[in-house]
Amino acid sequence: MKNAQKIYSVVAAAAFAPLFATPALADGVAAGTLIENTATATYDIGDGPETIDSNTVVLRVDELIDVAVTSLNAGPIATDSGTAVLTYSVTNTGNGPEAYTLTANPAVAGNDFDPTVDGIAIDTNGNGVYDPGVDEILTSPETTAILDPDEELTVFVLLSVPAGTNDEDEAQVELLAEAVTGTGAPGTTFPGEGVDGGDAIVGVNGADDTALGSIIVGIATVDLFKSAVVVDPFGGTSVVPGSIITYTIRADVTGSGTVSDLVITDIIPDDTTYEAGTLTLDTAALTDAADADAGEASDAAGISVDLGEVAGGTSHSITFDVSVD
Amino acid sequence: MNTGRIFGFFAALAALVSTPAMAQREQAVELSGDVMVVKTVTEEGAEPREELVKPDLVVPGDRLVFRTNYRNTSADLVENFVVTNPLHSAVALAPDTPSSQQVSVDGGNTFGTLSELTVTEEDGTSRPAMAYDVTHLRWVLSSLEPGASGQISFYAIVR
Repeated sequence: MKNAQKIYSVVAAAAFAPLFATPALADGVAAGTLIENTATATYDIGDGPETIDSNTVVLRVDELIDVAVTSLNAGPIATDSGTAVLTYSVTNTGNGPEAYTLTANPAVAGNDFDPTVDGIAIDTNGNGVYDPGVDEILTSPETTAILDPDEELTVFVLLSVPAGTNDEDEAQVELLAEAVTGTGAPGTTFPGEGVDGGDAIVGVNGADDTALGSIIVGIATVDLFKSAVVVDPFGGTSVVPGSIITYTIRADVTGSGTVSDLVITDIIPDDTTYEAGTLTLDTAALTDAADADAGEASDAAGISVDLGEVAGGTSHSITFDVSVD
Repeated sequence: MNTGRIFGFFAALAALVSTPAMAQREQAVELSGDVMVVKTVTEEGAEPREELVKPDLVVPGDRLVFRTNYRNTSADLVENFVVTNPLHSAVALAPDTPSSQQVSVDGGNTFGTLSELTVTEEDGTSRPAMAYDVTHLRWVLSSLEPGASGQISFYAIVR
């Protein structure tokens, strides 16, 4: 028995070593891989031990074609500038190299509106963010490069929002990826179209897959309300020389969106003079000079307050005083 | 796939023909192997049943059965008959393999039942061996009478 085992282990080591050269894939043996199997027997007979190998059976792994598409956006993408980018991933879940045709469908049932698809782009520089002019926009028919098994590609669908949409309107956009070799019910076979002339067989996803991304329209509007309070030198409210007029400008931003670079300006009325140092924003004083704070004011140029980015649902008040000449 | 069909054909042929004329180098024992794909057929109103088909089309996830027929073609008693079968890295031993099966998870250096074996991870920790760790299978028969024959088989899944 001992002798027999010794012989066996030498044989097995020699036979098995080359098999380790086959690269192991994370999931799915590569199409075209040859699976070989040989059994070896050792035994004692008559005058000593013998070893014998069986015939070697060989089978080739055929190409499984499949794909998985997922949305990479955690939730609806807000758009207030009229355009939006949805991000998807397309993964080759087959075991052979395959390219995929991409189709973006903006007319999904239940949409408040149907966005316009301006193009499908590939994340050429691999940073996960659409970079105009850098990331390649596919031309029709939009087809990816050949992806290796398990390779994942980030795809952007470029959208614009048509006129006539309302605040908080939502729309879903479906990205479809179809294997170029073909699609069909799982198990559908494409003879000779696999790796090395082997067969290609459609996997559980049907060699196509879709994912939905969604956008939400965020429109913000700004309403300005201006009011004045007059105090005359005599304690009354008449507008006479020397009366002080306090102007209040309230900016209400409404809607689900955000306005950016919101700057409120006003002129100093004729026959009045700006009262230096009276400019306030939300009751906090602002200096008249053009400096780090948000406001500046002068008799000649009037007042200007830079509110920057203002989210819908917020309100700001600006006050300043003038004296009647 | 042509290649696969040819291989499948030869494998089937080898399995069918097992006359003493096939004995190699006048050795006492003859071994011949084949491989089939195990398809589970589900029909309405019936228990799912297994069907063996030729490996014309094989993809990851498929269940295979590797079979080896042995026969003592000599007139002498064969003793200490041991069959070993290295497992190709593209297949994993089926998890439902009988627990008494002798296996190796270290390239054939040591054998035991799966529950007796452990695997050392790259970080030095040790864990119980799993069916997918198996690198070799082994069958030990005490003796083969002249003319005695039999078949050993195991199931594996394409990774």
